[in-house]
Amino acid sequence: MFRLLISPKFVGFKNGLKRSRSKIKIKVLTLTGTGILFWLALFFLSCRVLIYFSSQEIIGDILARHLLAMALLIFFSLLIFSHIITALSNLYISQDLELCHSSPARLTEIFLSRSFYTVIDSSWMLLVFGLPVMMAYGFVYHAGLDYYLSLIHVSFPLIIIAASLGIMLIMVLVRFFPAQRARDIIMFLSLILIVILYLLFRFLRPERLVNPETFISVAQYLGALKAPDSPYLPSHWATEILWARLIKYTGGHVLNHLLLWSTAFALVVIDIWMAGLIYFDGFSRAQEAKRRSRTGRKILERIVSVITRPLGPDMTSLIAKDVRTFFRDNSQWSQLLLLGALVVVYLYNFSVLPLERSPIRSIYLQNALSFLNIGLAGFVISALSVRFIFPAVSSEGQAFWIILSSPLSPRRFLWSKFLAYLLPMLVLAEMLIIYTNYLLKVTPFMMALSSVTIFFLVFGIVALGVGLGAVYPNFRHENIAQVATGFGGLIYMIISSVFIALVIMLEAGPVYTILSTHFRGEEITHLQWIWIVGSFIMVIFLNIFAVQRPMAAGLKAINGYEG
Amino acid sequence: MIRFENLTKIYRGIKAVDDLNLQIPQGTIFGFIGPNGAGKTTTIKMMAGVLRPTRGRIYIDGLDIAKEPSKVKRIIGFIPDRPFLYERLSGLEFLRFKAGLYGMKEDRLDERIWDLLGLFELREWADELIESYSHGMKQRLIIAASMIHDPQVIIVDEPMVGLDPKGAKLVKEIFRQWAGEGATVFISTHTLALAQEICQQIAIVDKGRIVASGTSEDLRKQAGVEGDLERTFLKITEGVAGK
Repeated sequence: MFRLLISPKFVGFKNGLKRSRSKIKIKVLTLTGTGILFWLALFFLSCRVLIYFSSQEIIGDILARHLLAMALLIFFSLLIFSHIITALSNLYISQDLELCHSSPARLTEIFLSRSFYTVIDSSWMLLVFGLPVMMAYGFVYHAGLDYYLSLIHVSFPLIIIAASLGIMLIMVLVRFFPAQRARDIIMFLSLILIVILYLLFRFLRPERLVNPETFISVAQYLGALKAPDSPYLPSHWATEILWARLIKYTGGHVLNHLLLWSTAFALVVIDIWMAGLIYFDGFSRAQEAKRRSRTGRKILERIVSVITRPLGPDMTSLIAKDVRTFFRDNSQWSQLLLLGALVVVYLYNFSVLPLERSPIRSIYLQNALSFLNIGLAGFVISALSVRFIFPAVSSEGQAFWIILSSPLSPRRFLWSKFLAYLLPMLVLAEMLIIYTNYLLKVTPFMMALSSVTIFFLVFGIVALGVGLGAVYPNFRHENIAQVATGFGGLIYMIISSVFIALVIMLEAGPVYTILSTHFRGEEITHLQWIWIVGSFIMVIFLNIFAVQRPMAAGLKAINGYEG
Repeated sequence: MIRFENLTKIYRGIKAVDDLNLQIPQGTIFGFIGPNGAGKTTTIKMMAGVLRPTRGRIYIDGLDIAKEPSKVKRIIGFIPDRPFLYERLSGLEFLRFKAGLYGMKEDRLDERIWDLLGLFELREWADELIESYSHGMKQRLIIAASMIHDPQVIIVDEPMVGLDPKGAKLVKEIFRQWAGEGATVFISTHTLALAQEICQQIAIVDKGRIVASGTSEDLRKQAGVEGDLERTFLKITEGVAGK
């Protein structure tokens, strides 16, 4: 029965591959290619770090071991976290669960098959991307076959422990809260946790560790390095086993192996026992309808209504609906916390730049940084857009028929989405640029140039998000956050980055000429003027192109949509 | 009035709708019945402007939906078979949103919405999020939303799915009332008893083609059987399958 219960996933995957059309095959190939590139980049980066460490006498090995402990602890924590998320869906929310529970299969069999799904869904990505770091260790330390065998041997119990803990936690949580509410709580808590960890990490200023001279003593330096490790953590046992293999130390790892496997087995037994007690009760509660009243955000709605009034009742209704659903979807609005953290760290980084200690003339550096800042701010806006704007069309979900059957034309629909996001993005981008330029104390010329450049860049970035979001829609998503992580999101990030880079490349040369001739007290030649004007005209055309093309492509996609 | 001219829809080489020609007079309740996969929902979606025909034309009140989609959509009300809605809006907000899409202004809108909520017994749930509605309540809300702009043509796909007997009776009465006031109601359904009870004209569609059309009596004569519409339907569709 267990084999039968897990078969739909594999058969579905096989059929998907076999019957996929060429467009989907290209998608799979692109994703695989990008994955391999990322994998190789991570491998080479890890090798470089480890080779640098091994060149440091005395502390090199300590650093490498600490890094291994930290990496394994992070992998282990992320594994637990991803198991919590996927277990909730696989054990309580998935639509095929009703079929499983109404079948004569025993509860333990259903629980084990869904737990198996959870392990597959949660582990593969982390395993794939954790592998290059571990392979880099093996490569740099010239490890033997026993290291790679231990790697496999250690991974299995580590995944089982993380899965068991994640599933256990979700069973307890759903026992006390309905599944939908538990999902909201997890999303919210995890986001807060990520924001706190992110801010803590940034404010600890890890860049100081690269420069040991800034510490008074070696002891203080090692103290700053200390990884949060404990002999009771499974990741510690894994570190001990792998490190022993790396430095060719033969003894002492049997106990760690025993600890890993016995903990894994014990937790599986406890999970099955707990499932017998509380799993079905939680599943049953997850089916109960919940009565939720709307929450008032009258002020925001009134502001939106006033701003959008000139657009006509159809576009006003659509934008008001988008604002309401955004703030009622916890998985959407809570991402604003991430946005806040990102902006704080971005501004903080500029406030701690040691410009006065730079060997380059400060005025040049400030202007060069301001220029670089346009690119960085553009990238931050793109990263936010892929989260919020790219899924804008997909956010209509299966209710998209309402739009299609209404008199609102696809053109007005798309432009409503564009206009709804343009204003907040413009405000954010200008705020980032003006404040960072103020911190950098740049010249008025650079202040004006970067403010105008980012102003027009935002039009292109938003249009790319809306347009490509319509070209690569996902109306059947279970969670809107999934939309950004798909193939279309990747394509959007690539195109958006290329667009920003092109604008900066076109502006960089002329601006350098203007600044350098100004500082040298020289005149700009006619030829240089032609080049400067030509470059800026090309920037204008590029921006127009970046707005017009994706919106036209999006419109074509919606017109041809056959849901 | 509704008119199809050589209406055809081909999905990856398969003809879902095959050269349909049909004319439905104003003020008629028209039943579009057929077995699963006959092309009913595809036809309905093309009429509602959700799907583009491969060939042929659909005229509603003399307007070609391919050429003037916005004008046509302004005079039709579409009720799909599956009630997918914006789950995080309340029923009241959804009706306001729908009215906005049709360009309706604020004047007396709330009164109209409140009347519709009362008609479909949803007033008590007006401020609740749609995600907490039952299937039947969502279906009633969709029907209410389709009426908000007083459409001249109502296109309905399986109207009774999820409705309790009281709701079903109410919907039948509303359809009759609409038709009496001059609106055309186009119903696609599997429920032959419903078609027999309220439809003045019926077309039986199979494999994308209309195989018989007329009143219930005309169909019975064509099939050469006595009794209810079910026997007529089975005789006609089995005859098509035999060919």
